[in-house]
Amino acid sequence: MPLATLVSLLCALPLIAPLVRGDDWWLPAALLMGAATAVSVLYRLLTGWIGLLVPVLQLVVVALFVVPLFAGHLAPLGVVPSGAAIEHVFTVFSQGLGVIDTNRPPVTATAGVMLIIALAFAVFLVAADFLAATARCPGMVGGLLLALAVVPLVVEESGIGAGALIACAFGFVQLLAVDMWVRGREWGVVVPTPPLGVLQHGLTATLAAAAAVVLALALPAAVPGLRTDSFHTLAQGTYVGRQNDVITTTHPLVSMRRDLLSTSDRTVLTYRTDAEEPGYLRRYVLDEFDGVNWTMSPVDASGDTRVQDELPLPTGWPSAPREDTVVTRVSLDSDVEGMDFLPLPYWARSVDVSGDWYVHPDSLMVFTTERPPTGLSFTVETTDREVTAEDLARAPGSPRSLPGDFRSVPAGVGPEVQEVTDELTGHIDSPYLKALALQEFFTSGDFTYSLRPTEVPGDADPLVHFLTVDRTGYCQQFAGAMAVMARQAGIPARVAVGYTAGERTGDGRWTVSSGDAHAWPELYFEGAGWVRFEPTPGGVGGQGSATEPEYTDGSGGEPELPDPEPTPDSPEEEPTSEQEEPEPTPEASPSASAGEDEEIAAAPAGNDRESPDLSWLPAAAAVAGLLLLPFLPAAVRASVRRFRLGRPEAAWRELRDTCVDLGLGWDLAESPRGTAARLSALRDGDRVPLAEEVRAALYRLALAEERDRYAPAASWGEETGADLRVIVHGLPAVLPRGVRLRATLLPRSLWDRPRRPAADPTPQNA
Amino acid sequence: MSLGTHHGGRGGGVQADVGEVVAVADRIRGAIETVIEGKPEVLRVALTVLLSEGHLLIEDVPGVGKTMLAKALGRAVDCSVQRVQFTPDLLPGDITGVSVYHQERREFEFDPGPIFANIVLGDEINRASPKTQAALLECMEERQVSVDGRTRPLERPFMVVATQNPADMEGTYALPEAQRDRFMARVSVGYPSPQAELDMIDSHGSHSPLEGLAPVTDAGTVRRLADLVRGVHLAPGMRRYIVDLINSTRTSPELDLGASPRATLHLVRAARAHAALEGRHYVVPDDVQSLAVPVLAHRLLVGPQAQMERTTPEQIVAKLVAGLPVPAPR
Repeated sequence: MPLATLVSLLCALPLIAPLVRGDDWWLPAALLMGAATAVSVLYRLLTGWIGLLVPVLQLVVVALFVVPLFAGHLAPLGVVPSGAAIEHVFTVFSQGLGVIDTNRPPVTATAGVMLIIALAFAVFLVAADFLAATARCPGMVGGLLLALAVVPLVVEESGIGAGALIACAFGFVQLLAVDMWVRGREWGVVVPTPPLGVLQHGLTATLAAAAAVVLALALPAAVPGLRTDSFHTLAQGTYVGRQNDVITTTHPLVSMRRDLLSTSDRTVLTYRTDAEEPGYLRRYVLDEFDGVNWTMSPVDASGDTRVQDELPLPTGWPSAPREDTVVTRVSLDSDVEGMDFLPLPYWARSVDVSGDWYVHPDSLMVFTTERPPTGLSFTVETTDREVTAEDLARAPGSPRSLPGDFRSVPAGVGPEVQEVTDELTGHIDSPYLKALALQEFFTSGDFTYSLRPTEVPGDADPLVHFLTVDRTGYCQQFAGAMAVMARQAGIPARVAVGYTAGERTGDGRWTVSSGDAHAWPELYFEGAGWVRFEPTPGGVGGQGSATEPEYTDGSGGEPELPDPEPTPDSPEEEPTSEQEEPEPTPEASPSASAGEDEEIAAAPAGNDRESPDLSWLPAAAAVAGLLLLPFLPAAVRASVRRFRLGRPEAAWRELRDTCVDLGLGWDLAESPRGTAARLSALRDGDRVPLAEEVRAALYRLALAEERDRYAPAASWGEETGADLRVIVHGLPAVLPRGVRLRATLLPRSLWDRPRRPAADPTPQNA
Repeated sequence: MSLGTHHGGRGGGVQADVGEVVAVADRIRGAIETVIEGKPEVLRVALTVLLSEGHLLIEDVPGVGKTMLAKALGRAVDCSVQRVQFTPDLLPGDITGVSVYHQERREFEFDPGPIFANIVLGDEINRASPKTQAALLECMEERQVSVDGRTRPLERPFMVVATQNPADMEGTYALPEAQRDRFMARVSVGYPSPQAELDMIDSHGSHSPLEGLAPVTDAGTVRRLADLVRGVHLAPGMRRYIVDLINSTRTSPELDLGASPRATLHLVRAARAHAALEGRHYVVPDDVQSLAVPVLAHRLLVGPQAQMERTTPEQIVAKLVAGLPVPAPR
């Protein structure tokens, strides 16, 4: 068994290979594990005592080996752990910690890193050896291996290689196989395997495995809050692909809401411009609506789209503009995490920024595939082109110059939305007037602005709920709803996310803070291009710095209305989960992004501001989990017992399991009163018998069980529960402390229940 | 171990009657123990057989009190007791009775043999010729006597207590297994403990203690209690348990001959009586377990392999019982 354990852990070594750069980093780990295994093997071969001492000896030996491995040059004779050598080991250890703390994986395999890896694996081996060889439950080693497998997932977004995973799985399976082999030999069991039996067993195993896989896939989807409709689509941001170079980003709406909700109104950026009234700063454009959520279609980072001189002409502009240009110099605050999508005023014509940046031609989003620097400054030139109401009013009904279909509304949208749209715009022909009618609908006072909208009832369509029932929300709902309704009215629409113009702080200086995060609809008009509308109420009761464009002034009231609706189906619940959800890495299996993954994944997601705070969480959780792991059986057993204490009919089973736990054995051929007599005769080391009350309780319980089984129409008495309590507390009292401890920590009844023999020497011919 | 019992449910009526069984059994036991001390196990089986209307075979070396036990049992119950000393020249008619020509009335008249009694002591039954043994055993099974074409029923309770020397003693005809099968149970008395033997010297020194033994109950009571015992509850699981146990004797590789269906019936009746004797109105596995050896062992034929290893049927039965799971819920 110890050797099998060693093999299983050696097979797990490749799991962390992606985290370490270097060649020989695994050698010390393998050496230490080998040494510890040798201790275990020798101890078990030579002494034949119970293996409780093994972990202690192993740790001692591991400690002895560390010195020659890592401080051999300081130690006398190369092995004696002198003070200087030990001090050196500690120094190396803290250096290793420093390297791991300060570097992104993969880290270079310095001596310190190797020491930490080696020690970690040695401790794992000691634990695994104890579980597999001493406690005889090798299945639990799987928990340790799982913890190892989680490490690369936690700290590195690229996941685990299939090869490493297969190697690890192979190691685990061979451990289980060796255990079965050893047990079979001990029991002298010869399993007859007629050809048909093999087939049957194979079929059974396959079915069980298939069921497990199906459950693993289906369960996360069934857990509330993890349903794919709200979870994955919203949480999943967009990734930018360039062959194997892939970046991910937080879903724009999620980071926006986080900004809006943050208690401190931090400065996000400042800019200096010569424009009198600068427009909004746009970061993202969400152009796809799936019925529930607005998302970004994948953008492409290739050489063609690299930002060089001029940005592509905005969609819908027939020719390069002749107007003057306005120069805006933007400085991102250095305390704010780097932005992989730049906040740009519309319509940017050129961007002067250092680093590799790409532009998405349709939306003029500018982004990078690298880790965005913080405190970035860049210069943007925008066209000072005024859109007038007349321009828009002239636009024909169906735009011809627009690539892509920005008017599609998926079938999933409730029919009530279409009704509202028709009511508002059905009698209007001009797209401009339609748009004004929609904006007016939201800003006319019927809607309320709130960052914490009420929760949408489980089965309600959030869009319908927002439009017709609740009418409470914030910019996300307003922008999304208006964009959807505009599409229904035949106007191409999409949702932009970014910041409002912010606050003027001086001569041509503006400051944008996190509270200025915003989302708004952009509608397309032939000849004018994509034009911003503002359905979200502004001012004190709304999004403070939101302003309605001049070209919508004439006809529309624009006060404050809430528009609900956009993407999230339950505004309260989802945004919360999105908030920490940095969207799984591109390929990361959707099913894996359950529960804790939210937090774990947050770290790599590139939200620099949060990752330092959260990065220790997964590690702490893993450590806590590891520490608690040994107590898991005890906890399970205790809850089983608690459950049974209240049920008289389960009392006998509880007594059985207690006996099994305590190593007292359980004989199926023994009658209840026979069992009571046997247990009553127990004596402790000093020949002191069981307490009188315990014996009396044993007999009462045995007779009650006997009546229940064999007498006609028996009923349970009141005292059964009390009797059982007396027994389970009194019975262990006569046994040695070690036995009691073992019964508590490793209750055998969890995996080793007496079963009726399927075929025994006395066949119960059916 | 002393087990108090409490019961609920609809067994109340039976329960009260079971109490009477215990009371009567205690009186009989008390009476017999004035004669034979220190043999509670033997007494327990004997009372069980009495209440389940079976027949008892007492097997042991001479002089350990087999006959004394049988006599004491007969005396403790106020009923007719007959004793037959089996010898090689005993004829069937000597047991069943014969028709004798009555001179004055000029007709044959049936002269009932010793079998016409409530308790019949068959002493050293294996000394008789097989023919005579067969006559007795037929009566035991049929509970009637057929002589000269007329069938005469025997009065209840009818219990044969036969004693037998171990088969290898000189001048004996071992009972064939088919006939051993008719006895519900077999017990060995065994030597008394030193203390019991000391006491015996005192009590038997001056007079026979049998003479001082007064009946403590009568045939009518025993009949009634026997009827009552038939009503003791036997749970379905327990029936299955008994059948499984019997079956295990048939499939055991150590046995050449397993227990018969008659053994099953005997075991069921004995278990019921045993439960009643313990004051219970339902049978529990312990009843069956404690009766399995006396009820089953004498019917079994040990196979050659086990014989060479000197394994006794008693050991085999005990092993089978120890390996058979008791009925449990679900």
